[in-house]
Amino acid sequence: MPTSIKSDGQIAGHYGPDEMATVVFERDIGEAGHYPFTRGVHADMYRGRLWTMRQFAGFGTARETNKRFRFLLDQGQSGLSTAFDLPTLMGLDSDDPRSAGEVGRLGVAVDTVDDFHTLFETIDLEQISVSMTINAPAAIVMAFYLAAAQERGFDWKKLRGTIQNDILKEFHAQNEIVFPPEPSVRLVVDLIEFCARHVPQWNTVSISGYHIREAGSTAVQELAFTLADGLHYVDETLRRGLPIDSFAPRLSFFFNAHNDLFEEIAKYRAARRLWAELMRETYRATDPASWKLRFHAQTAGCSLQDRQPEVNLIRVAYQALAAVLGGCQSLHTNSMDETLALPTEHAVTLALRTQQVLAYETGVTKTVDPVGGSYFVESLTQQMHDDAEIYFERIRSYGGMLGAIDAGFFRREIAESAYQYQRSVDQDDSVIVGVNRFVQPDEARVETLEVDASVENTQVESLRRIKSARSASDVLRTLAEVRRVAAAGGNTFPALIEAAKARATIGELVKALADVFGQHTLHEQ
Amino acid sequence: MTIDHLTTTPTTDDKSAAHVRIVLAKVGLDGHDRGIKVVARGLRDAGFHVIYGGIWQSPNAVAQAVLDEDALWLGISLLNGAHLTLIPQVIEALRECGLPDVRLVLGGIVPPKDIPALTEIGVSAIFGPGTSVAEIAASLQSTHAKATNVAELLVSFQQRNRRSLSRLLTMIAAGQQLRDIRDWLNANRPATEASAKNKFRTIAFTGNGGVGKSSLIARLVAELRSRGQSVAVLSCDPQSPITGGALLGDRIRMSDCLPDEGVFIRSLPVASGSQGIASNLDLMSQALEGFGFDVVLIETAGTGQGDIAIRNFADALVLVMQPESGDSIQWEKAGLLEIADVIVIHKSDLPSAERMEGELREQLSLPGHHPATLIRVSAAKNTGIPELWEAISHPSFNRVGTAPRVF
Repeated sequence: MPTSIKSDGQIAGHYGPDEMATVVFERDIGEAGHYPFTRGVHADMYRGRLWTMRQFAGFGTARETNKRFRFLLDQGQSGLSTAFDLPTLMGLDSDDPRSAGEVGRLGVAVDTVDDFHTLFETIDLEQISVSMTINAPAAIVMAFYLAAAQERGFDWKKLRGTIQNDILKEFHAQNEIVFPPEPSVRLVVDLIEFCARHVPQWNTVSISGYHIREAGSTAVQELAFTLADGLHYVDETLRRGLPIDSFAPRLSFFFNAHNDLFEEIAKYRAARRLWAELMRETYRATDPASWKLRFHAQTAGCSLQDRQPEVNLIRVAYQALAAVLGGCQSLHTNSMDETLALPTEHAVTLALRTQQVLAYETGVTKTVDPVGGSYFVESLTQQMHDDAEIYFERIRSYGGMLGAIDAGFFRREIAESAYQYQRSVDQDDSVIVGVNRFVQPDEARVETLEVDASVENTQVESLRRIKSARSASDVLRTLAEVRRVAAAGGNTFPALIEAAKARATIGELVKALADVFGQHTLHEQ
Repeated sequence: MTIDHLTTTPTTDDKSAAHVRIVLAKVGLDGHDRGIKVVARGLRDAGFHVIYGGIWQSPNAVAQAVLDEDALWLGISLLNGAHLTLIPQVIEALRECGLPDVRLVLGGIVPPKDIPALTEIGVSAIFGPGTSVAEIAASLQSTHAKATNVAELLVSFQQRNRRSLSRLLTMIAAGQQLRDIRDWLNANRPATEASAKNKFRTIAFTGNGGVGKSSLIARLVAELRSRGQSVAVLSCDPQSPITGGALLGDRIRMSDCLPDEGVFIRSLPVASGSQGIASNLDLMSQALEGFGFDVVLIETAGTGQGDIAIRNFADALVLVMQPESGDSIQWEKAGLLEIADVIVIHKSDLPSAERMEGELREQLSLPGHHPATLIRVSAAKNTGIPELWEAISHPSFNRVGTAPRVF
């Protein structure tokens, strides 16, 4: 069983032509911008255009997050990335009793389409690309976004951005789940299908390994499970009758940028090659855009430490280097204080500056795929490619994705890796600077962000006003239509957008869908 | 026999104190469970008996878990920033359950400035990122259960104090003062219900690990609650033969209905070589009956060898199997098909369930087999549950009847 490439014995002290004997340049590496895209999806990579510097942000009310968005754009950030609070991620309204204490804490609180008006106030949605991290209620949030954009007079065909909309990794790792697996995947496909027809520049799924890795997987598991998730979405969308080239170009990926520099670089390269091979050879896609794996990277939150937190700046810088040498299309760099609280403006600025130094001072952007051809990197890329294929076979042996989820395969694999890693740290086999080596007894405290405790009241009060101003009969009628379509099996989007415009809340829409789909209960393995 | 005759030795001895019981859970909406799962497993390997309660728990459900599991420690993991809202609720819930002495520890992300407020309201320790499992284990071992006087315990048990029930089960599990407890329970046996329909029942469930016994029991608990019956579950899980530690995770699958006073769940570690069932289950069942529970459901650790012993005191033995598993051949060989009262084909939505049923019917019709009821159930699809209960509670399964039990 492939565990981690990091385990001793799998990394040799020296690499040379012998280790690359099975690698065929034309077939396995090629040129950047050409199949199989091992070296990058664009021929000129960062010489043509830098990666998008996209810091994930959101806290408090839509008003406060709008202010942070505008601050980030003023600092030279090139795209927006929205973090929602936990009630929103779980599809609950801010006034739900289960939301108490969590409204606006870890992200922005939103309940209705009106919050989306506030969130993007004065921001030109035809110019700025917007990413939204939301999964279980992704269809509802996308409906809010599209309704708000339409109400502001923007053309859906010109909207650019990404919605995470990746429910499978929630079942593997992240646990923000509302509906059972089958209807959950149906909603993912509804979004893919609707956007393929009406919002053609939108990235409909950000197939995410990030959270799998954060939950403790190895790099190979992250790679394999993420691509397997992507293949399941492709299969289900094909079953809907869409031709592969009508939606595959809008699938994007999201990977972790962890500590081991070369392992990470090899992971991104292997991912591009595997996806290209699968799309062209297995799925017979003919549009080269379908073959290209484009990805966002975020530095590893789980690698950050609360001891000597300034040291996190250094970790993040090396992780960002891995993402850029690996050819990412956009990047989030974590702030040094994120193990203590949400980041302060000062910490966020330093994180963004880390990317700017990398882009403008280090010279790594001057040439395409500067590490390509390295005996070590190419061997490692090949090894990760092959190890991922072994995992694909193991998933198939469970009867495919849903069978493997039901059997608890992914959770077991990830929990085992997480435990083995912790053991190696506890036994000092893995060094964490400032934690089990180079410990400093008297540490300086860093300032942390305070989220205003009145957020919850403000949001609940604003929700109450919206509810009293809307037409109750419109809400009931549009919710009934959502239920009807959900039960009938059609695409839920037109009904969700109408309900959004009637000011139905996220909680009401989730309930309408759950009336038909049922609620998922978590059966831990 | 009266309480005055009982001796008053403390309930804790060196053997049981070596395995500190701790409930670990996450409250609120946050699903980040990497840390808590690693800690759960690490503490198991350090010899703890860890009851893992899972994510999305309410403060009241957590408090009930601590109460029913008779845990000394509660560990809560939070990465959602809601600690100042949720932790006071947990502490209040513990207090309401009469557990002011349970020690609460936190893990996750807690900004340094919030630590004083949390320690002030009673949090014993906070473990941030980078804490080793060894550090956590060391800090949990310093507290031992307060010695309990068995006579006082039984008085308070008789007054239906739930914590006393919980403590009593701990004593029984550890094999302490069994004779006194048994004599007292026999002497104070509740009056038999006139209606056979609501007669107290003990039902045992056996079957291989992974066959879905816990999920099935969870469905049955909900079914019984809807019929107005109170239910206790005794869930057996294996402990490590090396450290004696155990990671008890079955209650996760049963906790959707909690908090509910009419449901009691106790996780029991089973020593290796003890045939898949905890010691003295018969006496525990009797204590639960004495406390007023209508039904006791026992889940074995799934090895099958202890099932013959269970059959001696349970009203019915339910064997759970699933299609495509080779279960039927294994259980035939083990002799379980001969002694099971009800055989459940679980995960009956699998395509081969029908074929399995056919094969089993043939096996069961062979001479020498007693007529077990065969029933198809799916916990996932929630089908066959009422039928299962009708089968289990059939009046013909009446192992012990109303006569005094002989243990």
